[in-house]
Amino acid sequence: MIATAAYNEAVRRHFADPRHAGDLPADHELTLVADVSESAEGAHIVMSAGIRGDTIAGMAFRVRGCPHLIAALELACRKLTEQPVASLENFDSANITEELSVPVEKAGRILLLEDALAMLWARYAGAAD
Amino acid sequence: MSAAAVYLDFAATTPIDPRVADAMQSCLSPGGAFANPASIHIAGRASAALVEQARQRLADLLGAEPHCLIWTSGATESDNLAIAGAAGFRAHRGKHLITMPTEHKAVTESFRHLEKSGYDVTWLKPDADGLLAIDELDAQLREDTQLVSVMQVNNETGVIQDIQRIGEVCRARDILFHTDAAQSVGKLPLNLSEMPIDLLSLTAHKFHGPQGIGALYIADRPGCKVLPIMHGGGQERRLRPGSLPVHQIVGAGTAAGIARDQMADDLLHAATLRDRLWRGIRDVPGILCNGSTDHVYPGILNVSVPGVEGESLMLGLEPVCAASGSACNSTSGESSYVLRALGRSDALAQSAIRFSFGRTTTKNDIDVAIERYRWAVDHLRSIAPLHSAGC
Repeated sequence: MIATAAYNEAVRRHFADPRHAGDLPADHELTLVADVSESAEGAHIVMSAGIRGDTIAGMAFRVRGCPHLIAALELACRKLTEQPVASLENFDSANITEELSVPVEKAGRILLLEDALAMLWARYAGAAD
Repeated sequence: MSAAAVYLDFAATTPIDPRVADAMQSCLSPGGAFANPASIHIAGRASAALVEQARQRLADLLGAEPHCLIWTSGATESDNLAIAGAAGFRAHRGKHLITMPTEHKAVTESFRHLEKSGYDVTWLKPDADGLLAIDELDAQLREDTQLVSVMQVNNETGVIQDIQRIGEVCRARDILFHTDAAQSVGKLPLNLSEMPIDLLSLTAHKFHGPQGIGALYIADRPGCKVLPIMHGGGQERRLRPGSLPVHQIVGAGTAAGIARDQMADDLLHAATLRDRLWRGIRDVPGILCNGSTDHVYPGILNVSVPGVEGESLMLGLEPVCAASGSACNSTSGESSYVLRALGRSDALAQSAIRFSFGRTTTKNDIDVAIERYRWAVDHLRSIAPLHSAGC
């Protein structure tokens, strides 16, 4: 049994109030959904992006995971909303890792976020084709 | 500890009783009993008298003779000394040993070390309630079996093994029986003078004594001996060398005396709190109580819920201090090996929370835990993927 790890204020804030948690309204031109999980990490992410033109009009997520992952998803949604769709491809989670002071042993869980964003981009690219 | 914290992690360690702290402080104060009890001068003899007084108090708690108790640094050292020491003492008679995978790491790792040294260890699995089937134990005993080790109260689930019957089975075949009683000494009645227990490990900080001091009980009977695992001075019957920490021993003895006096009240208090906690959360959808509900120490309640992650559940519980069934900070993400041995899935084991409480816990503490637990489960389920909410 191991006690709760240390969390910075940003993690605590996003954990307690993940405003983008839930589902997207069905009023976007295109809605992309990524579903990734890692049983060894005990984590499961469903991430959605609503697209209008070339812009990410809205984002939402559902997650079963640790506080750092919940906070990372919330932060990523905030950063990506109203950004060009191409941001999905180029998103760098390093800033989130730093902002949330994610410990090195949690790096694998944050990579799940990158996997989800990469899947969203792939779905967008596939839809565009 | 934060003033706002609600401490429900008594199975990890208990708060020191103020009377224990006072007794220790008297040793540490100027003019206190600081002298080495091995010294033969007047100051040393004063310290030695306090050490023996404490040993008597601990013996009284256990229903044991004081000369059967060896001071150690805690239950981990006691477990190591008991297992390695007894296995070594009996090695010429055989090298078969028996234990369970649900034991504390201090026991399991001691046995694994012996396995690497050529011993043959049988690992007896518990049933779904965490209990050992005595018939199964009996069936696994062999001519060359020398030691059986089964804990009395499991540190994660609170499940109580029938150490009286286990001891009887072992004694009938002249096999040594060791029990890790770290979670039961000072909490459950024990009378070692009437129990077939050869070796018993304990630590003071589980019953409101200080950390860093424990003891090993070694029954005074033929064939029951241990070889030392450390070498140095001749302290503690040459079984555990090192200068004795007088203030810690005095603290342990004081805690033992208090535990003996208050045990009945403490047990009733714990049972009342456990019932209050369980009634407060038992209607959470999908909640499961881990381990036997009949054979359980009432100061521990271990529960799992599907659809939530253990580390997040722990953060959601704050300011409640409990223990998680997930190894949150490890790179392996491994969940509780104890709960998995009971047949729980990785996900359920990872969502486990162990609440443990005792003498100083209030009903309000329990009510805070109920409120926080319900909020945390609801919150985490509300953001979980719909097909993994699991309830």
